Amino acid sequence: MSSFYFVILGTKDNPLYEAEFGTFKQGGDGVSRFREEQRHMNQFIAHASLDIVEEIQWNNQSMYLKVVDKFYGVLVSCFLTAGNIKFLLLHEVKSEDAIRNFFTDVYDLYTKTLMNPFYSVNQTITSPIFDQRVKQVAKKYL
Amino acid sequence: MSFDAPLPPYSTTPSAAHLSSTLYDLLLIELPPLCTSLSPDPSDLEAVYHRLSSIGHRVGLGLSEKFSRDRPRMVDTLEVIKFVCKELWGICWGKMVDGLKTNHRGTYVVTDNRFKVFERMSTERGVGVVDQAQYLWFPCGIIRGALANLGIEATVHAETTEMPIAVFKIETVQAKPPPL
Repeated sequence: MSSFYFVILGTKDNPLYEAEFGTFKQGGDGVSRFREEQRHMNQFIAHASLDIVEEIQWNNQSMYLKVVDKFYGVLVSCFLTAGNIKFLLLHEVKSEDAIRNFFTDVYDLYTKTLMNPFYSVNQTITSPIFDQRVKQVAKKYL
Repeated sequence: MSFDAPLPPYSTTPSAAHLSSTLYDLLLIELPPLCTSLSPDPSDLEAVYHRLSSIGHRVGLGLSEKFSRDRPRMVDTLEVIKFVCKELWGICWGKMVDGLKTNHRGTYVVTDNRFKVFERMSTERGVGVVDQAQYLWFPCGIIRGALANLGIEATVHAETTEMPIAVFKIETVQAKPPPL
């Protein structure tokens, strides 16, 4: 059973949104199955990969940076917007296309959130609708 | 009633909607007088400037995020300014700027010879340069917001020497994008 940990980080490396889910493919029920001791490591792993993201972003022209880091069997993929907002996904299986589609759809959701006049950049995203939509996207692609 | 067809690729997104450009022009024209009447002291131009600039800033933030998707990353200030001058100008006012000059030390001068906001305005001879300036504050805010979202802190001043020409002077605080 593979699980995913998704986090959106703002321009000051502050977390704006995080979510955990398990795969919906092959009969997975969508509940994440990270081992207990690994769950709290997810945040550290994501944070540690930020250095690498910042290094390679200047060499790479596209928004989707694919797998940027690897930590004991956990892969970190990144998607970087022009406003320097980072979407990080921790996963165990490598599936570039599915993850790219997932990131693109979440980026659409994020842009819509930005269009909300009551939401400013670097603010945490607390809308339950956003949460629900992200989970739907995850269900569709992951 | 004028109607400009939306340029591709903006017309192909699912959320694109056709909008009468006359209504858009009227909205922009009404914005400064509205802000003047909203502020408690209508003769306090600083407050009106601040309000218009903040509104423009918010709009610029959103526009730059939305329309920078799938573009190759802009690695230096000049590329960001070019994005603002070509794509953002095209989105807001349907055309690109007519001139861009830089002193290579952080100052950029953007010239638009037929600025859309001024195209259909007429002025009495010798009256109200101040009034015209008000219509430039909102576009200044848009530029400032777009630059801020793309990582560049800048101040933007605008002036108009004769009608429909508008000149924007962008002064960036640092010559390179700030460290992340």
